[in-house]
Amino acid sequence: MNCEEFANLDLNLEGAPERPETSAAREHLRNCPACAALYESSQRLRAELRELGMATSEVSTPSRVEMRLRQEFRTRHTTAKNRGRAIVAGWLLAAATIVLVAGSFFVGRHSKNANVAKAHPAANSGVTQIAAAGPELGGTLVAENDGDEFALIPGALPGLQDETTVVRVQMQRGALSALGLTVNEEHANDVVEVDLLVGADGQPQAYRLPQQTAN
Amino acid sequence: MPIEDQERDEVLLKRSAKGDEDAFTQLYRRHQAQIYRFALRMTGHTWAAEEIVQDVFMTLVREPKKFDPGRGMLGAFLYGVARKRVMKHLERLPREFPLEVRNEEGEAKVVDIADQRTPAHLAEMRERREQVRSAVLALPPEFRETVVLCELEEMSYEQAAKILECPVGTVRSRLHRGRALLLAKLEMLREVPKRANAVL
Repeated sequence: MNCEEFANLDLNLEGAPERPETSAAREHLRNCPACAALYESSQRLRAELRELGMATSEVSTPSRVEMRLRQEFRTRHTTAKNRGRAIVAGWLLAAATIVLVAGSFFVGRHSKNANVAKAHPAANSGVTQIAAAGPELGGTLVAENDGDEFALIPGALPGLQDETTVVRVQMQRGALSALGLTVNEEHANDVVEVDLLVGADGQPQAYRLPQQTAN
Repeated sequence: MPIEDQERDEVLLKRSAKGDEDAFTQLYRRHQAQIYRFALRMTGHTWAAEEIVQDVFMTLVREPKKFDPGRGMLGAFLYGVARKRVMKHLERLPREFPLEVRNEEGEAKVVDIADQRTPAHLAEMRERREQVRSAVLALPPEFRETVVLCELEEMSYEQAAKILECPVGTVRSRLHRGRALLLAKLEMLREVPKRANAVL
């Protein structure tokens, strides 16, 4: 074995099992003072490194680090939990809103259909409230439910059937435009009879024109 | 690490990821000392080692899924994270390291708990130990980490290779080179006469 081969071995011969390699290394050390000196220094270094390792083997992180980490852990997981709850609450609210809107829509449609059906004799299961009109309305007669279906006035919201009244009025045809209806200009001055379905708030919701006065 | 310990780490980590603070605390207490020692031996500063330990375990708090049990053990993962933090720390510091370790108040502090128990006649040994520590801290980082892991932490070449993410042969050659550099530095410091014969 030469010096280069010995240096490349990087052996720790103390307590090493006997092998051809270790025997050759020991032989070389006996014959080479330079390698022997280097080996001795290397062994001393190993011992000092081992001692340094042992001297610092009991060190530990200061307890404040654990406190900081646990605080961060708690904050993070509380935030995550609250975020989760907020997301679930948001979805529940959205679902409830959808159900409410759908319910209102269907109730509204049912109410409108019921009101229109009430005006038709075939569906006349109940009579709307009939009230007498005074002379200040120019001879307006309150109509009975006498047949034709009511049409919703543009922009009006159908109310509950128990809160509506059918009122028959005489008015110039042109006045129908105030209800959002299209009127033939040539007959705007004609006086016509109109049945109005009036809600509890006094606002007309639907109208019909008795056959003899149709546009 | 025995298999049951490894499985225990994985169970604790899963519980910790679900918000179990006790599980996280157990994990921290199991691994903090070795990470602190590694960081301290690499940087020479207790304040830096403290910061690095905190950073490493913050990774577990904030990104527990970064650890993949299929790729290795939690201990090796934590060492890997610590190593990266250490390298970043060393990049920011000047090359030369003082002989003494200073704490965050700037006071010189010898990080050697055996000092308190060492009799007066071992002062020379303490001085030599400080020289060795300074010589280790003066090594280039790639050699220093090999020496710290293999000589001070007494890891095998295979364990060190996993942490350093390099082949075993690279660990051997870096360790060999690291020792040679240490010897040269210490010989310079001590001017020890070479002996003719080895003691076998």
